[in-house]
Amino acid sequence: MTQDDSAQTGRDTREAAAARAGIAVRPEEFQRKRFSGEREKVFELKGVDVLYSGVTAVKGISMDIHRNDVTALIGPSGCGKSTLLRCLNRMNDLIPTAEVKGELLYHGENLYGPTVDPVQARKLIGMVFQKPNPFPKSIYDNVAFGPRILGRKEGLEETVEKALKGAALWDEVKDRLKDNAFGLSGGQQQRLCIARCIAVQPDVILMDEPCSALDPISTGKIEDLMIELKEEFSIVIVTHNMQQAARVSDRTAFLMVELDADEQNRWGRLVEYDETEKIFTNPADKRTEDYVSGKVG
Amino acid sequence: MVEGVRVQYQEELERLEASALGGLDMVSAALDRTLEAIQHQDVELAQIVVADDDRIDGRYLEVHQSLITLLATQSPVATDLRLISALLHVLKNIERMGDQCVNVCKMIPLSGNEPPADQEMVKLILSMGKQTRTLISQAKRAFAERDVEMARDLVRQDDVVDNLNRECFRLALEIGDDADKREWAMTMLLAARAIERIGDNAVDIGEQVAFVVTGLFREFEDASHPTA
Repeated sequence: MTQDDSAQTGRDTREAAAARAGIAVRPEEFQRKRFSGEREKVFELKGVDVLYSGVTAVKGISMDIHRNDVTALIGPSGCGKSTLLRCLNRMNDLIPTAEVKGELLYHGENLYGPTVDPVQARKLIGMVFQKPNPFPKSIYDNVAFGPRILGRKEGLEETVEKALKGAALWDEVKDRLKDNAFGLSGGQQQRLCIARCIAVQPDVILMDEPCSALDPISTGKIEDLMIELKEEFSIVIVTHNMQQAARVSDRTAFLMVELDADEQNRWGRLVEYDETEKIFTNPADKRTEDYVSGKVG
Repeated sequence: MVEGVRVQYQEELERLEASALGGLDMVSAALDRTLEAIQHQDVELAQIVVADDDRIDGRYLEVHQSLITLLATQSPVATDLRLISALLHVLKNIERMGDQCVNVCKMIPLSGNEPPADQEMVKLILSMGKQTRTLISQAKRAFAERDVEMARDLVRQDDVVDNLNRECFRLALEIGDDADKREWAMTMLLAARAIERIGDNAVDIGEQVAFVVTGLFREFEDASHPTA
């Protein structure tokens, strides 16, 4: 597929990006699953362990993450939610001592395979962080940054507008696109980061506590946005706010800290992963019940 | 005694459950008085039951408001959420049971101080009342102990009430040609029907026990699709 072809639609762009990342995404497989009603798996984790300097941080995670779902990861501090999230776009590669074991498939392909280029993979699997991190540039340049790097200079203005509309920010900034992004409020900055993320047409958006630094109104806007964005993207969100997980996610994974016999070592373990409604009304595991009810932290 | 975190919330929830279930004791007392009023054709006692229903309604409003406040302020989930949902149902049932006692008591003056009572029918209604009182106690215990089997047994106990109600109907049909007596029998049939409904409310509370414990709401018996 050529660069020109890939500029036509989001889907094509993703497939081109996947090809560049060394991930063999098969269009016919996409089509088959889309029309068969079968839930398409974006990620399949099979016994994933993450270690830092040989010390286990999360252990034996097995779960499937479905396309166009918002999947929430919840659990107490130190249970490995963010570690797990960072595995999904090879962000842990940036830490020299980090090691990922087990099988982590992205659209059926090994994300940690020898042919996969992590930099390209991260263009397919974008990330929004806890604290808004706009670049010290104009609003427009922030959003145009990714497409420019990818050489998608044609129709750049439309791309920026579409991304800002997609992030529910357009109406607030359309008259001051050349203003510095730092002049925006915290909530607007976070939506700008989401716009920057979706401007490169990713497949998945990972969000690491995206609302923890925001007031309730901005939080509400981001939550509404997540529900709109899942029509096009798959979203995985780490949150400490249980009600947020309950409000926005389709499926919820609860992780907790596990200790070894002599209580020297601790690691994160997946306790329960189910439909969000089930997790918050009738969880199967007593530990999930105690955590979501706020009886244990 | 609650241990761990969110102690005040847990204690408040326990207090509200006890208060809601305490409403069942108030209904039992109202039913006792109602039965006594029927037995002795005691118009004054019947009026007391009518006036006292305000206490049951007051309990309903008070606990209902406190549960809404807990929902708004504490974001309960999982078992706590199911418990609160169940308590809201239970409160409604309690309020209905109180109203049924009022319905019966309002009928007592209609038949006058010395009605042409048929003793066999009065006896049947008193038996119904006694059995219904057992149902109320059993519903309360099943809820407090989260005992689904005990809750399911309410259906069996309620069948006894239903059979007695049918028996009342049969007696009313055979009461004879005297117009006053027939009018009295009609009034008593309405009373029997009200008591039978109290039994149904107790079974509904049992269904809420199963919901709190299992997370699934199922009617123990489906009146629109009877199995037998």
